[in-house]
Amino acid sequence: MISLHQVSKSYETPAGKFSALRDIDLEIDRGEFVGVVGKSGSGKSTLLNMVAGIDRPSSGSVGVAGTAIHGLSENKLAVWRGRNVGFVFQFFQLLPTLTAAENVMLPMDFSKSFPFRERRKRALALLERVAVGAHADKLPATLSGGEQQRVAIARALANEPSLVLADEPTGNLDSVTATAILDLFRDMANQGTTVVIATHEADIARVIDRRIEISDGKIRPSSV
Amino acid sequence: MTTLWRKAIRDFWHERARTALVVLAIALGISAFAAVLSSYAILTRELDRGYLATNPASAVIRVDSIDDDLVNAILQNPEVSDAEPRRTISGQLKSGPVQWRNVMLFVVNDYGNIRVSKLVPEKGAWPPATGEILIERDAFQVAKASIGDAVIIKTANGVEQPLVISGSVHDVGQAQARMENIVYGYINLATLAQLGEDPYLNQLNILVAENRFDKDHIRRVVADVEEVIKSRGHEVRRTDIPTPGKHPHSDLTGILLLAMSSFGLFVLVLSGILVINLLTAMMASQVRQIGVMKAIGGTRWQIARIYFGQALFLGIAAVIVSVPLGILGSRALCRYMAMFLNFDINSFAVPLWVYLLVAVIGVAAPLIAAAYPVWSGTRAPVRVALSDFGLSQTTFGASAFDRALTRIGGTFSLIAFAIRNSFRRRARLALTLLTLAAGGLFFLSALNVRASMINTLDQLFGARKFDLTVSFVNSYEMEKIQRAINNTQGISKAEGWFATEASLEARRFNVVALPPDSQLQEFDIIEGRSLAPGDTDTIVVNNALASREPKMRAGETVMLRMGNAETTWRVVGVAREAFSPAVAYIPHSGMVNNLRLALDKSDPDAVSLVKADLDRNLEQEGVRARSSVSTADTRFAFDQHMLMIYVFLIVMSSIIGGVGGLGLMTTMSLNVFERRREMGVMRALGATPRIIWLMIVAEGVVIGVLSWTIAAILAWPISKAIGDFMVKIMFKSGLDFVFEPVGLLIWIAVSIGLSAAASFLPAWRASRVTVREALAYE
Repeated sequence: MISLHQVSKSYETPAGKFSALRDIDLEIDRGEFVGVVGKSGSGKSTLLNMVAGIDRPSSGSVGVAGTAIHGLSENKLAVWRGRNVGFVFQFFQLLPTLTAAENVMLPMDFSKSFPFRERRKRALALLERVAVGAHADKLPATLSGGEQQRVAIARALANEPSLVLADEPTGNLDSVTATAILDLFRDMANQGTTVVIATHEADIARVIDRRIEISDGKIRPSSV
Repeated sequence: MTTLWRKAIRDFWHERARTALVVLAIALGISAFAAVLSSYAILTRELDRGYLATNPASAVIRVDSIDDDLVNAILQNPEVSDAEPRRTISGQLKSGPVQWRNVMLFVVNDYGNIRVSKLVPEKGAWPPATGEILIERDAFQVAKASIGDAVIIKTANGVEQPLVISGSVHDVGQAQARMENIVYGYINLATLAQLGEDPYLNQLNILVAENRFDKDHIRRVVADVEEVIKSRGHEVRRTDIPTPGKHPHSDLTGILLLAMSSFGLFVLVLSGILVINLLTAMMASQVRQIGVMKAIGGTRWQIARIYFGQALFLGIAAVIVSVPLGILGSRALCRYMAMFLNFDINSFAVPLWVYLLVAVIGVAAPLIAAAYPVWSGTRAPVRVALSDFGLSQTTFGASAFDRALTRIGGTFSLIAFAIRNSFRRRARLALTLLTLAAGGLFFLSALNVRASMINTLDQLFGARKFDLTVSFVNSYEMEKIQRAINNTQGISKAEGWFATEASLEARRFNVVALPPDSQLQEFDIIEGRSLAPGDTDTIVVNNALASREPKMRAGETVMLRMGNAETTWRVVGVAREAFSPAVAYIPHSGMVNNLRLALDKSDPDAVSLVKADLDRNLEQEGVRARSSVSTADTRFAFDQHMLMIYVFLIVMSSIIGGVGGLGLMTTMSLNVFERRREMGVMRALGATPRIIWLMIVAEGVVIGVLSWTIAAILAWPISKAIGDFMVKIMFKSGLDFVFEPVGLLIWIAVSIGLSAAASFLPAWRASRVTVREALAYE
């Protein structure tokens, strides 16, 4: 499903060159639930960005579901991402002027993956699935953090992606809500969706299939 | 409706106060543009339609006299549709005890059968009976009389005769009487006889049968008619062929309105700047949202469409608001112009093409203005957009300019703070300054152009050392006239001149013969020299003639036709005369047909007394004055012509100032919005709401003062260019430019007042935000 070969990423900073990833080789299978753990600044978000096509490697190749995404243009990447990847952010990043249902409909509108009339119906079903159906027509500002993250997960599932990536999805939630959110990801993986979560919290062992530990831009061999 | 459109609409609703300001500013721009464009369409249509409805003459031929046989002979020509005899005779009119005013009398034999250059009866009697006179509706103010009043008329060869004003008419083809400072009167042939003139007609108004708008065709037909007139032993004295189908003021009106339209477009461009400011700020505040949309599959174009949709909404909303405003504005403008040009508007209907053009430009302008902010705002790669930390982190102090700013403002921290804050968003500041400075520039230009026009006219009239011009129908020996002058009190200096016409290769111009050492006329020589005592065959031309006739340069010899004779003249100089028709000056000798008089006193009453006294004394010598005009009256007519230029400039500067004010309000509102957290910090540190309020108003005032500085620096060259441009297209003349320093003082007061008013509301709202709300803002 995901194949990274000799992926490196470095940034030019005022303090000099900073290597975020170094010679990463990684294979993740379809339906696998993988947790990428590491300290802040270890390179886990960069790794997720590489897989999502949000960032490009300085060297190496990234293949997702048979597509070499490192060679795609920004626009082609956006189209590919809309159809194949669901992304969940730490701070939810719901668009504040759209209701919960509309936030979920947004990727469908971008990708035109479902007929226009079906989009709201599907958005409501997804919100029901993540247990916030009652809040479908509320604006994000009126929802709690946990509810917002559930809406964000529903949005990530909007186009039935084969891959869901989540960057610190529970980092801004209390422990009870975090557990419920992780369970949702587990359900997704059980239904065949590949799920990759970046987190600095070590306590996710009970839900994930595989744990990848990253430190100083390198994957610890023992963790793969 | 897709979520993309919903987002576009709700984002705007979220920013509704600023959106409303920008819609208002664009609407103001479109309204101004729509008003002048509609006026252009209405006035050019109505002016020509009203003029054509009078069946205007294709040509006017002046002959020695006309009888029925001559008219019938001319009508034998199948290419002549009509030929109607008239007479135009100048004279003087007195409605009160003293003052004579110039009158142009139009004599028509049969008022019931006017077919060419028709008159429209307005009030009172029609047609005028014998002993009655009709007055052109705009000339009543000049005549200072009303229907029913008796006025005294005297013509060149006649006697003073009272006539009753029995009604008013509208003569579409005449220039506005108030501007020309002349009375247009309409009498019949019997009344002309009562006035002591020989009752004959000498002017043929010719109407061609076909191709009425083809000047070459008219010329050919007129040449045939002239042959018929000559073959019957009559003399052709002068032929005029006006531009076919065009009111005499049609082109001038068109030029003026086109100039107005271009300024309207300029206002629209300025209001587009507000769109740039609003969308740039909105894009900047939504960088992370843009990143999220890209991360979940939105392409750059899909996201850009949201913001272009908002610009489209701005345009549509502004067009909806502005079209009725523009139409109302155009009606006011049309009424003013119609009054100014003395014609009636039958229909204010605005053609469809105006609506379409206004709609297209109104909608396109915000879209064009949005292009750069939207395109650059959606450019950031996803990772960069997602890592955006928000607006409050924008740095100040990185550049040398920032550090230099920290040394401005002295020890008064509020001013220093306001100056630094105003420079934080430099692109926005530059665009805001552009609109405000443009308003200032137009205002200063209006005052400067006005002052320059006055100065130019002062120069022109300063060179005329005479207070009164008296014209005679015939030519006389100066000795005869000198006796009358000597018997008249209040004349300090007098010169007898001779005015005639000459032509160079069939192109006519005025010729004035005056003493070479004239005490009453100075020349501003720009090439060669002036006339000098002893000159005989020398000629000095004014710049209007020199620019029209390339042969009229100092040192050239030209062959001129005066009457039936052709004579050779040496051009010795070119004199500058603003706002003047083409004139050539030659040394005077022999007979005179007009007098130039310098008077002891030049107030209107004194001039009238001298005129009356001189008239009596001239009559005792057997000399009849045809007309007399004071230099002050001539100056008044010039001033009236200039009035509309600076009224227009003042109106434009007010509109641009309004757009600038709305722009500043938008800018201050954005600045306050982006710095909410910073204000929360200040409040937490102990700043009172009043300090916050003062700080923002001070920032607005700093921007106002900066805009004034820019306007003040640019005012000189820009107002000179505007003045030269407008005067050149209207009068084919230049300006003696002067700078009006009072304008700077007025505009600094306006700038500060406008800036303070524009920042008042954002400042007030900022001062009301609680510390908690402000600190919570991301």
